[in-house]
Amino acid sequence: MSTIALDTTATSKSTQMRKYGFFPGCVAKESCKELYNSTLILAEKLGIELVELKAASCCGASVLNDTHRDVARVLNARTYAQAEEMGLDDVVTICSTCTGHMRAANKEMLEDQHLMDGANAVLAKFGKKYNGTVRVRHLLWVLIDDIGLDKLAAMVVNPLRGLKVAPFYGCHIIRPEEVNGWESARNPHSLEDLIEAIGGEAVDYAGKTRCCGFHIQLEKDGVAANMVGQNMRMAKDEGAEAVLTPCPLCHLALDGYQQDAAQRWGRTDLPIFHLPQLVALALGVPHEKLGIAKHLIDPTKVLFQREIAV
Amino acid sequence: MKVHFKLYRYDEAKKEEPPHYQDVEVDVPEHSTVLDALHQIKDDVDGSLSFRRSCRSAICGSCAMNINGTVGLACKTQCSSTMEEAGDGTTVRVSPMPNFDVMKDLVVHMDPFWEKYSRLKPWLQPAEPDESFERERRVSPEDMHKLVAVANCVMCATCYSLCPVVSVDPSFAGPAAISYAYRFIEDVRDAKRNERLAQINDDYLWLCAHCYACSYCPKHVDPQDHIAATRRSTIEAGMTNSRGARHALVVAETIKKTGMLAETEVIQGTVGRFNIKGLLKVAPLGIRMALKGKLPPPFLKPVPQVDEIRQVFDTMEAPVR
Repeated sequence: MSTIALDTTATSKSTQMRKYGFFPGCVAKESCKELYNSTLILAEKLGIELVELKAASCCGASVLNDTHRDVARVLNARTYAQAEEMGLDDVVTICSTCTGHMRAANKEMLEDQHLMDGANAVLAKFGKKYNGTVRVRHLLWVLIDDIGLDKLAAMVVNPLRGLKVAPFYGCHIIRPEEVNGWESARNPHSLEDLIEAIGGEAVDYAGKTRCCGFHIQLEKDGVAANMVGQNMRMAKDEGAEAVLTPCPLCHLALDGYQQDAAQRWGRTDLPIFHLPQLVALALGVPHEKLGIAKHLIDPTKVLFQREIAV
Repeated sequence: MKVHFKLYRYDEAKKEEPPHYQDVEVDVPEHSTVLDALHQIKDDVDGSLSFRRSCRSAICGSCAMNINGTVGLACKTQCSSTMEEAGDGTTVRVSPMPNFDVMKDLVVHMDPFWEKYSRLKPWLQPAEPDESFERERRVSPEDMHKLVAVANCVMCATCYSLCPVVSVDPSFAGPAAISYAYRFIEDVRDAKRNERLAQINDDYLWLCAHCYACSYCPKHVDPQDHIAATRRSTIEAGMTNSRGARHALVVAETIKKTGMLAETEVIQGTVGRFNIKGLLKVAPLGIRMALKGKLPPPFLKPVPQVDEIRQVFDTMEAPVR
């Protein structure tokens, strides 16, 4: 069983303007800039400071393992060395894939001194060293562990009025369980807890921990679209009006391919919210500021229908 | 301990009767596995229930099934733990493995799984015929070490039934078959390395979506690592003319150049910069994104200290593996 402790000591810490290293990842700086912007808006609202690791590289996005497995690990070591230099051992991500791959690289080096030494031998060429103090956490985990859902619920000024939201975890924030381990990979419920805390109704469906197909969208025509259609069909059939995901890759696939999947799976047209967008909305940030208009499936329709748009 | 079972019942010989769930209450000893309980139901309640089983100790791989929404070996899953973790505390719902046609109740047609496995010619093919050897073929512990994880595979098909790619495209080899391909590709005694690589490459090696559903393997074979290793081997062997290989290579190229995964370049590089037909196929989504101002930038400014990133590649690039 996963335990999501509403730890009061963690809650009190956040009042001191807690500071985090911020690793936005590539997609939040390229095709999902609305995710990057709404993360910063939410952080300000929550009173936490996100210090971006500007010289960081891509985490490897799982793809780099297919050509340069060792390089991927060392590139992450370089990112951690930067965070240590800046005194920011707590690194926050906003992408499931970044979370999983950065944590995997960290775990490998922390558990195998040979790999840690090997990485440091390469970093030494440009005067860097990773001391193994960094921990990588997704914004979702920070919201629950450091802010606390009770406190978050108390900050809600624009509750979601029972909007039926289907959580979509994506893969790399939960699997492999040995790498992430923050909650049960088979039966996670952090997104459900968060949805309920901000006034929504969480929709349970089998697709919530399945793959969006993002990583193979170009490999063979139609496969990723079918994976999207299958998952969104399940969500729609359980009554979902919108989807919430902690991963911009899932967002791109789910937002982009529902139209193509409609032929086989029927129209689903579910708007796909990034995690910080929906939380910020509930905390009273106007939807215009959250880049929601950039989504292919227009989320404003359901927000106005349910009188959530402010 | 009282357990409420919901049992999937179906018989393909009686196609006119749709599948349904049968409710059965059983009183089982505290540490009963799901398989123990199924035996008890078959013995005491309903002898017509069908399920595969043999060893009862996670070695034969027969009893994989869907237990409370997730696939695993019935003999390795305790009723109490699955009820607590995935059920409502009192119910164990069992149904056949997904991604297979059902024969009867919890028994599925495993043929597609075996077909993909046997396509690999899963036996050793050494350079010289067996008869010419008078001594055993020695393998060093290091070389053997690579094959140990796959040796634990019991072919229960848990990974195959959980694979989301198989669920929409049955042409994909699936995780177990790729692990077995890897097992022979990496075997120093085998002489068919390139043929094997070419074949698994054709069987959509690159269709794996990195979802790690196969990390639920009850024997910790972890096929995802073998999939990545086999992909590196195909590239090393020069098999780069597939979208998957081009995609991986162009991702690495853009990270080396800019420090970031440059989305625009990756899309062009994967589909092929001169593949007009292919590019036209991805164009509609691109246009829809452009209209919303959601297109990634055409070129990226390198991140600060990108020379360090290039140095990491240059230092380590020599062997791809």
